[in-house]
Amino acid sequence: MDSRTTEKLAFGFLRACIWIVVAFVAILILYIVIQGYSIMSWEFLTEMPTNRMTEGGIYPALMGTAYLVGISMAVAIPLGVLSAIYLNEYAKESRSTWIIEMAINNLAGTPSVVFGLFGLALFVKYLAFNPSIISASLTLSLLILPVVIRTSKEALITVPQAHREASLALGVTKWKTISSIVLPEALPGIVTGIILSIGRVAGETAPIMFTGAAFFLPRLPDSVFSQFMALPYHLFIMATSGLNPMETRPIQYGTALVLLILVLLINSIAIVIRKHYRKKLHR
Amino acid sequence: MSGINDFADIKVEDLNLRYGSNQALQDINIKIPSKSVTALIGPSGCGKSTFLRCINRMNDLIKVCHIEGRVKIDNKNIYDEDVDVVELRKKVGMVFQKPNPFPMSVFDNIAYGPKIHKVPKKDIKGIVDKTLQDSALYGEVSDRLDSSALDLSGGQQQRLCIARTMAVEPEIILFDEPCSALDPISTNKIEDLILELKKDYTIVIVTHNMQQAARISDYTAFSLWENNRVWRNKPDLRKS
Repeated sequence: MDSRTTEKLAFGFLRACIWIVVAFVAILILYIVIQGYSIMSWEFLTEMPTNRMTEGGIYPALMGTAYLVGISMAVAIPLGVLSAIYLNEYAKESRSTWIIEMAINNLAGTPSVVFGLFGLALFVKYLAFNPSIISASLTLSLLILPVVIRTSKEALITVPQAHREASLALGVTKWKTISSIVLPEALPGIVTGIILSIGRVAGETAPIMFTGAAFFLPRLPDSVFSQFMALPYHLFIMATSGLNPMETRPIQYGTALVLLILVLLINSIAIVIRKHYRKKLHR
Repeated sequence: MSGINDFADIKVEDLNLRYGSNQALQDINIKIPSKSVTALIGPSGCGKSTFLRCINRMNDLIKVCHIEGRVKIDNKNIYDEDVDVVELRKKVGMVFQKPNPFPMSVFDNIAYGPKIHKVPKKDIKGIVDKTLQDSALYGEVSDRLDSSALDLSGGQQQRLCIARTMAVEPEIILFDEPCSALDPISTNKIEDLILELKKDYTIVIVTHNMQQAARISDYTAFSLWENNRVWRNKPDLRKS
């Protein structure tokens, strides 16, 4: 085979790979949109489920997921980003930092159901938060913490050492250098990590089923110590253990569609924020 | 020659520096006179840059680096316990080998230092204009102060870095091979600028270019790795 044929084959193969990926995503989205479209209405989003979940809307599950995303991000973002700053900017290379980093990497690969059981043991039982929004949110924040730390650290590493030195050489303190030079430059990368985490928080089922998600609860939670419904768990329940899985098919697809749109919506907001910061960096 | 000691503003006494077990500088003694250009020349890897970074304690950033001896600025040893490194670096500015502007606008690059050092907002525009003029950059960039510093040419970026350094009003400016990444025309402009700057600043410049040292310096220190005596100091090598 001459080199031109190899070139063509290689290029064709790479292009085929990307088309397979695109096709899968497109089919998935199209399928959910087509199946879930018919039930979509304002009432579906804003009404309580009725008649043993076979009719009505998904309002409490939608709100439950919103609470979960809000609280777990509020915990995980500051904790994760600040930890990453410490690890990358302050911690000296030593055996203990090596162990910490190994632990973080392993945590990132831990199955989410293990986090669910851990949340049950720590937050629900030991700290006596009971099955509640706060227990589930904290469990989810633990789940995404390693992701936030790792992506933030990667982002900090890409900031050139020369920029830190330039700032320090101007008689600027280390913290000021980090907050006004390093962090703004790393922000687009950090936001990328946050985007990935949001999708996970909104979509995870295992960590919340032990820590507070309710089977059926047709009202909004009173406080963060109440149980709640959430979109992924609602979907799971209806599809597997509902009273009539066939009858609720449209609601299931509707729920899946809402979840999909919610995640895409949050992601696009984050992407706009990222773009804004990139622009500010004159890149 | 006898006069040098009297107006020396940096005095280095018995300076030793090790990276781990690797001796990089040994028993260095040198006096650097004020309001003049002192060039440090010598082969690559002989410790010129390492020495330069001792004067504003940039080596503090390297964990395995151990320093003994004294570096006195205005007769105060900057390695004394009570010295505030941040204040020291305000007084001793540094321009690096590769131009390293921040990914901000031209204006913000220069305003960064003064802003952090709490210069009143109304004075900042004046500082930016003045340092741009002093760094011979004003004519080239006055109409694009708001555009990215990364869009400037390499030579312009380096002069911007010099302006940024001047904006915090140092007394001493250290140049670490400032022209090694630049073309001849840009190099020329920087050299002219350094000659201009010595009226107001004490300048120490590391260069691997003998001609450059001859063109711009008043004093030259030559370093050579010899019998593990890293520095041979000849501060009497005067420019003709």
